[in-house]
Amino acid sequence: MFDLTLEQVDQDGAFLDAVEGAFGRSRAEFLSKALVTGGVLLGALALPRRARSQEDDLSILNFDLAFEYLQATFYTEAEQLGTVDAMTAEQALWARTLGSHERAHVKIIKSVLGKAAVKRPAFNFGGATDTPESFTKTAVAMEDLTVSLLVGQADRFQSPDLVAAVFTLITTEARHATWARRIEGFTPIGKAFDDPMTLAEVDKVVATTNFVDSKLKTVAEGDPRFTG
Amino acid sequence: MAGGMLVTGLPKLATSAPSATMDTEILNFLLELEYLQQAFYSEATESGALAGELSEFAQAVGVHEDEHVAYLEELLGGEARSSPEFDFGDAATTEEKFAQTAFVLEEIGAGAYIGQGPNLTADRVTKVASLVSVEARHAAWIRAILEKNPAPRAADPPLAERKVRAEVAKLNFS
Repeated sequence: MFDLTLEQVDQDGAFLDAVEGAFGRSRAEFLSKALVTGGVLLGALALPRRARSQEDDLSILNFDLAFEYLQATFYTEAEQLGTVDAMTAEQALWARTLGSHERAHVKIIKSVLGKAAVKRPAFNFGGATDTPESFTKTAVAMEDLTVSLLVGQADRFQSPDLVAAVFTLITTEARHATWARRIEGFTPIGKAFDDPMTLAEVDKVVATTNFVDSKLKTVAEGDPRFTG
Repeated sequence: MAGGMLVTGLPKLATSAPSATMDTEILNFLLELEYLQQAFYSEATESGALAGELSEFAQAVGVHEDEHVAYLEELLGGEARSSPEFDFGDAATTEEKFAQTAFVLEEIGAGAYIGQGPNLTADRVTKVASLVSVEARHAAWIRAILEKNPAPRAADPPLAERKVRAEVAKLNFS
């Protein structure tokens, strides 16, 4: 059995390298340092002046951020409730690895968005984080949904650098999904192509879970230019 | 390697803006990787040398690679290059070598798509995005079988075209 190494989180800077072109080298370098040291108040940074097309990019990124919040909170809650401790060693390693990745995704997407980042919505997972069984079942569905979300958004970014950045996340989420499915005894891979989903379709699925107390927003607080 | 893009390389790849000409170059490059994977899994499953989950993996992944090849060939139409010949030695037909080789091939495949997918024109990006996720699923599955971390990083790095060719050359399947 391999070890969980948190240092490997974005160790190659794959995501940050990709966003560098979209938001400038100095910002990427700063984010890279922030990612390592953590805990830096990144939201205080302003985004560079942006063209109209970047506003659309930011709306999509904000939706992705809201979804990453959902995932990260889900895994963190299961860790805090002791649900992860009650799992088999393989399941626990899987849950902790995914939790660390989702928290890293929140941090890096939030960093890219800076002040335009939406706030973390309030979540209520009901009993889904209470037992290893309900947790893993929900996680499988969530990871597959994330793949479809990102696949669906890949061609919608105006910035080629953001398209490149999303590719580095799609594969990670797909790995999560297959790992989760295998642990749960499902067929690890369903089809030769993953179905893309629109933001509206994903939003609808999320709504059926009642996990989000305040509706998932693609609109930045206090920024009326975004229309979601 | 037997000829083709895997040896000669792509002209000015990743330095030019997306275009139809570039799409053809990129898709042919990816098609050649898919040909390699397809031939590998086909030989493995036909040999009957694999058992248990490895066999299940080879069957499932082989079907996916067939579909990926068919899709890329359809996209390329008359521009599609034909498959080179491959000689896998016993890499496809002994369990341990099969698993190691599948792991390498899938990671190369995922890295190549991450590297080149974003360089395609917008209407090609979605389908290739829905394909790269499946390559990553293959990689995760074979990693799990090999007891390697299926998802070792929070963001997967792209593999430059030159490095893809170097990795493929190391396998010595020409």
